[in-house]
Amino acid sequence: MSLLIGALTLGFIFSLIALGVLISFRIFSFPDITADGSSTLGAALAAILLVNHVHPALATAAGFGGGFLAGALTGTLATKFRINGLLSGILVMTGLYSVNLRIMGRSNVSLLGASTLANAADRAGGALLGKATLNVMGWEVSAREASMLMAAVLFIVLAGAVMYVFFQTNLGTAMRATGDNAQMVRALGVNDDHMIILGLGVSNALVALGGALLAQYQGFADVQMGIGMVVWGLASVIIGEALVATKSLGLTIAGAVMGSVLFRLLVAIALRIGLDPNDLKLATAVFVFLALVTPALLKRMGKLRAKQPAEASHA
Amino acid sequence: MLEIAGVHKTFNAGTPNELRALRGVGLRVEDGSFVIIIGTNGSGKSTLLNAVAGSFFVDSGRIKIDGSDITKWPECRRAKFIGRVFQNPFSGTAAAMSIAENLALAAHRGRRRGLGWLLRGNVLGKIREQVRELNMGLEDRLKNAIGSLSGGQRQALTLLMATWLRPQVLLLDEHTAALDPKSADQVIALTDKIVKRDKLTTLMVTHSMQQAAGLGDRLIMMHRGHLIQDFKGAEKKRLRPDDLMARFEEVRRSELLDESAAAMLRRMYV
Repeated sequence: MSLLIGALTLGFIFSLIALGVLISFRIFSFPDITADGSSTLGAALAAILLVNHVHPALATAAGFGGGFLAGALTGTLATKFRINGLLSGILVMTGLYSVNLRIMGRSNVSLLGASTLANAADRAGGALLGKATLNVMGWEVSAREASMLMAAVLFIVLAGAVMYVFFQTNLGTAMRATGDNAQMVRALGVNDDHMIILGLGVSNALVALGGALLAQYQGFADVQMGIGMVVWGLASVIIGEALVATKSLGLTIAGAVMGSVLFRLLVAIALRIGLDPNDLKLATAVFVFLALVTPALLKRMGKLRAKQPAEASHA
Repeated sequence: MLEIAGVHKTFNAGTPNELRALRGVGLRVEDGSFVIIIGTNGSGKSTLLNAVAGSFFVDSGRIKIDGSDITKWPECRRAKFIGRVFQNPFSGTAAAMSIAENLALAAHRGRRRGLGWLLRGNVLGKIREQVRELNMGLEDRLKNAIGSLSGGQRQALTLLMATWLRPQVLLLDEHTAALDPKSADQVIALTDKIVKRDKLTTLMVTHSMQQAAGLGDRLIMMHRGHLIQDFKGAEKKRLRPDDLMARFEEVRRSELLDESAAAMLRRMYV
């Protein structure tokens, strides 16, 4: 049960990364892999501020802001300097590795004993529930884990709602239109370069926020923790799209969150069955590959099948 | 008023693919004038429109709208003055977004975009009313993605978007060339109606001699980056499609003459 709750909590925290990837890959059609660096950046900033006794809310916000700057930098490289989008992300991500090491001063910062949002959630949950363990349908659940899950859910619902509202404002719709048709957006007086810079900023701010929360949940920040984040986020987005099967804004956002949670559950099950954790990233990459090619493959097979009877009748 | 003076534009300068698209084009378009531009392929018609719209910067010359020199303005800044409809029906609208969202985006053309709600109630009502006037039955499908519509419907909506806020200059770049004949007629009728109703200063490029003869109050013929003919007023009114075809034939012949004369001169002197 504790495994399940842990997977759920991780799924909700990771859904912030999925939402960030949703913005860059889907709304802007921009293959932004800055996220591998910016998620660590968010974690590193939050962690180093937390061990220096900064208020957890402020430390988390700093992570968010750091991610915004990283994304905006990638956007600037891609638009103002006309560098290929993928390469812009690679440059910033690579640079961030050193930046993150500089920020943390070492490769790993433990949050043991620091006051974090996770502790705050624990305290609030403890006050609310009033006991150390909970009985959920016959399972023993520690109040700490339950309250962390609730805090994560609350946080993500809030983030998703803000995102949903934002992308229906004048600015937000201009961003969506930029990803859809940059020529039209310029003809309507919008600077599409600025939209991309701002959009990648928001995307990576969400990713970094996810990193900051993850660090506080697991109790440490590590310079390697960001590796594979883009692919994880993409996997969540793809699962989400399969779940909701629509392009409407609200459902895509909800789908990405659901996709992230489902993906984490699948990972937990796979690990439980005996998947070597070291193979996890390979498994994820293969999964995303299959998810990307299967629809086209099915279509082609469907066409072949539709063709065969027709040819048979000719013969 | 649109003023174009001495505009030159060369693409791929200094390469084997060098293309001198505009070679000193000058044009003054009075307020409310509806100018048709025709010309052979590669004559620079679309390049001229794109130069005004700011798709690229010109090599030399000046472009002014209502006295503001916009020669160095980026495309998105010029959009404050300019409404545009493209040849490709997909270029003017955002496919994944709804009809209402597309039109509302256009209702903010050239304005600052903040955190206000895009589809406020009064905007939606006005959109429904304007879309109903198109008589395409789209007013009940405002929430549908615009990508689900036909090219003709998208072009009609793009026209509505381009003119939602009255533009100082309306640029129509062969906006019916990609449509079937019936949709093309519909879009042309709508164009004529809107341009006349709002007295819009308009530049329209077309390949159709019928459209060229039937629309507008001024006609310009381009060839090899130059303006070679300018029909105005009564002279424009008298023009028939056949006259235009005849003019094209003349241009073609003189061209042949140029080349054969050059060949003859080469033989004699080189």
